[in-house]
Amino acid sequence: MERIVLPEIQSLDQIEVYLANGGFDAAKKAFAQTPDSLIDQVKKSGLRGRGGAAFSAGLKWSFMPKTTDLPKYLCINGDESEPGSFKDRQIFEYNPFQLIEGAIITCYAIGAKTAYLYIRGEYHMWIKLMQKAVDTAYEKGFLGGKMKEVFGTEFFCNLYIHKGAGAYICGEESSLMNSIEGYRGYPRIKPPFPAQKGLWGCPTTINNVETITNIPPIISKGWEWFSKIGAPKHPGTILYGLSGHVNKPGVYELPTGILLTDLIYNVAGGVPGNKKIKCVIPGGSSMPPLRGDQLEGVRMDADSLKEVGSAIGTAGVMVMDEDTNLLDVLIRIAKFYHHESCGQCTPCREGTGWMEKTLKRIKNGLGTSKDLDLLCDVANHIEGNTICALGDAAAWPVKFMITRFRDEFEKYVNSDVVISVPNKVHAMRNTAVPLSDLKK
Amino acid sequence: MEFKFTEENLARINEVRKKYPTSLAAVMPVVYIAQDQNGFISSEVMTEIASVLGIDKVNVLSVVTFYTMYHTKQMGKYHVQVCTNVSCMLRGAYDIWDQVKNKLGIQNMEVSSDGTFSLEEVECMGACGYAPMIAVNEDYYENLTKEKVEEILDSLK
Amino acid sequence: MPKFIVDGKEIEFKLGQTIIQAARDAGISIPHFCWHPSLSVSGNCRVCLVEVEKMPKLVIACSTYATEGMVVSTNSPKTLDARNSVMEFILINHPLDCPICDEAGECKLQEYAYAHGKGESRFDEIKNRKEKRVQLGPYIKFDGERCISCSRCIRFSDEIAKANQLTFVERGDKVTISTFPGESFDNPYTMNTVDICPVGALTNNDFRFKSRVWEMSSTNSVCVGCARGCNTEIWVRNNEILRLTPRQNDNVNSYWMCDNGRLNTFKFVNNNERIDGAFFRKEGALQKVEWAEAINESAKLLKEYKSSEIAFAGSAFAACEDNYLLAKLAKQLGVHNLDFASHIVTGDQDDILIREDKTPNSLGAKLVGVKSSNNGLNLDAILKSIQEGKIKALYILEDDLASLSEEWEQALGKLDLLIANAANQNRTTALADVLFGASTYAEKHGTFVNFEGRVQRIRPAVATEEMERALDGMNMSRWDKFGTKFDRWMQGTKHNSKPSWKILSQISNVLGGKTKYEMAEDVFAEIAGSVDAFKGLDYDSIGEQGAKLKIKQEVKV
Repeated sequence: MERIVLPEIQSLDQIEVYLANGGFDAAKKAFAQTPDSLIDQVKKSGLRGRGGAAFSAGLKWSFMPKTTDLPKYLCINGDESEPGSFKDRQIFEYNPFQLIEGAIITCYAIGAKTAYLYIRGEYHMWIKLMQKAVDTAYEKGFLGGKMKEVFGTEFFCNLYIHKGAGAYICGEESSLMNSIEGYRGYPRIKPPFPAQKGLWGCPTTINNVETITNIPPIISKGWEWFSKIGAPKHPGTILYGLSGHVNKPGVYELPTGILLTDLIYNVAGGVPGNKKIKCVIPGGSSMPPLRGDQLEGVRMDADSLKEVGSAIGTAGVMVMDEDTNLLDVLIRIAKFYHHESCGQCTPCREGTGWMEKTLKRIKNGLGTSKDLDLLCDVANHIEGNTICALGDAAAWPVKFMITRFRDEFEKYVNSDVVISVPNKVHAMRNTAVPLSDLKK
Repeated sequence: MEFKFTEENLARINEVRKKYPTSLAAVMPVVYIAQDQNGFISSEVMTEIASVLGIDKVNVLSVVTFYTMYHTKQMGKYHVQVCTNVSCMLRGAYDIWDQVKNKLGIQNMEVSSDGTFSLEEVECMGACGYAPMIAVNEDYYENLTKEKVEEILDSLK
Repeated sequence: MPKFIVDGKEIEFKLGQTIIQAARDAGISIPHFCWHPSLSVSGNCRVCLVEVEKMPKLVIACSTYATEGMVVSTNSPKTLDARNSVMEFILINHPLDCPICDEAGECKLQEYAYAHGKGESRFDEIKNRKEKRVQLGPYIKFDGERCISCSRCIRFSDEIAKANQLTFVERGDKVTISTFPGESFDNPYTMNTVDICPVGALTNNDFRFKSRVWEMSSTNSVCVGCARGCNTEIWVRNNEILRLTPRQNDNVNSYWMCDNGRLNTFKFVNNNERIDGAFFRKEGALQKVEWAEAINESAKLLKEYKSSEIAFAGSAFAACEDNYLLAKLAKQLGVHNLDFASHIVTGDQDDILIREDKTPNSLGAKLVGVKSSNNGLNLDAILKSIQEGKIKALYILEDDLASLSEEWEQALGKLDLLIANAANQNRTTALADVLFGASTYAEKHGTFVNFEGRVQRIRPAVATEEMERALDGMNMSRWDKFGTKFDRWMQGTKHNSKPSWKILSQISNVLGGKTKYEMAEDVFAEIAGSVDAFKGLDYDSIGEQGAKLKIKQEVKV
């Protein structure tokens, strides 16, 4: 199987090696065509965004206005902060020039003169590697004004790296734009969508790093070739990130639509100690978890995962064996979303903290079965009612973990607990008191 | 304490500003430059950033308090960050966390009395396949065991 | 006009209107905290979520544009469920300290919790703690725990006051509001944030803990701090003004007023240096006399001077009605020396509300005839003539000319006769021979004309001795209605004062005038009949929002 995003070529991060392997040929080919034709090819290739929502990349590009006096922008999302996801850093490290080539082709296709590559701040090393590649590209004329000579076209564009500074929410596209503009990473209300009003109010397209890196092969080898790889409705390869209880964790580039069990048992070497799997989160921590007994036959593409009640997300597969305490896992997930909620809108700001507090109370032995229902209800009321998708991302793990593993969670709660303050309107009590304590 | 950017850093700021159509957009990189120079972001530093960029001071404050990588107090010479998020947790991150806490004798977001170490429990660092991990300042240490952690911390003096 | 449907009712909307705006124009109120008609849309509170047919999720009414044929439900089960849950979320960390919260009674959160809340909380954890009693600026206290992070105050400061002084700090449920460290929230408009704060997070230092809002009556009025004439409400308890708040008038002040106007234009109504009653100088000292005696003496004394020896000083602080009758009295006596003092503070003006002219009625005074005529003297000339001994008698209407300058104070001392209408003791009243306690703008009906030529009404909010709150149709609070005279709150001070127009008309009648004015409105009717700019107007047509006068060219004041 051929790898598209991370080809098996030594030192591909060296420009000479990249060029020797056909680097920037796709760009040359692209600049000889019309932007519309490129958008059309990407549409036909079936490439779907690799950042989580799996939206058609070509369709997204086509939303950019054709006639506008405003400058247009491309944002490349390398914020990569979804727990379980660690794929983009492989591209920064091993194949930076293909990302750059994808960026200039995309800029040309959507009519942007400037691209911002947003990389999470913690990736200091990868930012340096990527910056080195960008500097080299400028030197060699694959970016900036010198592109005119190198490619013999009128078109040129700039690529700048914007370093994040520790905020998961900036992976949300509108927060990312606010962050680039120098504001807090608050998501914006949609509509207007970025293609209408993005960076500095100008038309903007935002694609994931992996999505952009897929562009050069699609252009050079043709959309038909790409569309035949992997799952027909979600073609291509994906960088699967395997983590948790597997023998060989890591990032693997494989076609979409591969069996989840193949991924875990064959690719990642199975579960340590041959333990049974209790739970798998297939797409990064925001996605609904699957039960161990649900995995048979599940394929890793957007539609198949949707069918079984989860989502592909960023294809960060987290595997948990039979000895895992799911309450601990859920508390950790809830803590994460509580910590990362930007605080702008009410349901997420208040609800994420509520869920974490209640889960911790259950952990302290002071929860009841009713609290599990309450948690699901709180999650249901965050979901869909917030400005951005972080609300849903915070709600789904709680809601689905509890409903899909209710039997286990029932073991963590205590039917023996009473609430110490009967009138809950004034409830500001510090702890619930177990009934047994009250009787003493 | 008054803060002024060095000539060299002012030159860096000028370079950074060229990347963006507005000076406000340069605030994040400029806060990083300031943190490089000063170690942390005090209100004097924010005032200077605002004045260098010609933006309102509250815009700087707003950004500095939003992003966790900007520090408003001096952290240790070695800022030790332990990821305890799910993938790391499944592979023993909390044992590492306890080990580091005990070894350094400090709690989350504390600085050791000699200023050598500070400690932070961080969210997912994007090293899930190489868990557990810690980061010291800008460097990742992955696929850790207790022994390796011991070794790493001992090497930092 | 395009139409859409809200709760089964077809309503019209203007293109570009959001659901909340169009519904509001049609009289349908959709709950909202963060949305404010004159601020940018932030969409963060989520309480205005509504169900729209064919939309997969609920949408926020504040940022969703109305479109032709759209079907919106503000009370479907889905909408109500979401609204209830948003209310629950907001309340989980909100301290339920309504009994000691100044906002109680006019708190959006309280009202919506009552109307849309579930009535109980399922939140069984410890509430978040945040900073309380933060002195954000000279006049504002901030309670971080009460704050619901709607960002109205931040947006107001940046967008309306043009002073980007507030921001969110931290994130998630630790978010709070702050100024830059060491800096004060001190722009000239800060206290508007108290009005627009939907909860009690921002409170007014001056009013804090003074009164429950339902114990006060509120009366529509106009600020007397400058020539803008911001529309206000005067809040009164126990016949004492406790606060002023701005009242919406899109032609004048939108929803806002400045801090100076709010804080410094009502305390003189309450204070104990008021002129209570009428006074007459006997044996070198002002003695309190009956009103009738002072009026008769004034008339008698004025008659003793030649018209060229008398001057009248009107006032840009007094109402049109007062100034009109002063001008009329001057005319009756054949006096042409008539003018009023201007109070310009050069440079103290901005592009928002504040005007250099620190009086509410310069234009009005001028329009109703307080200006020198037939070679009469203007104010500077009057001063000179007093100094030269040519003018011997001066009638001063509601202005402290002695405080204008040393020269003025000395000149007033030289006069044979100084009659003054004044509300408070000042350097001028100390020199008066006849002194009338004048009712303030808060104790009478009348009109002011602002710098743009808009005539606006003032109304009595505080009762004087000659008035009875209930009988005179004044606005009443719950206490006013249900308290008895044995209740302590019914023992508020009433001052013994009269509106200047009444005093002037009585003097005029003693001097042979034949007019009978029952009330200020009668005076205004005469103004409307005799001054072109006011033609066709009456108190009803001026109403709550004022009326633009027909002034052909800018009258220089």
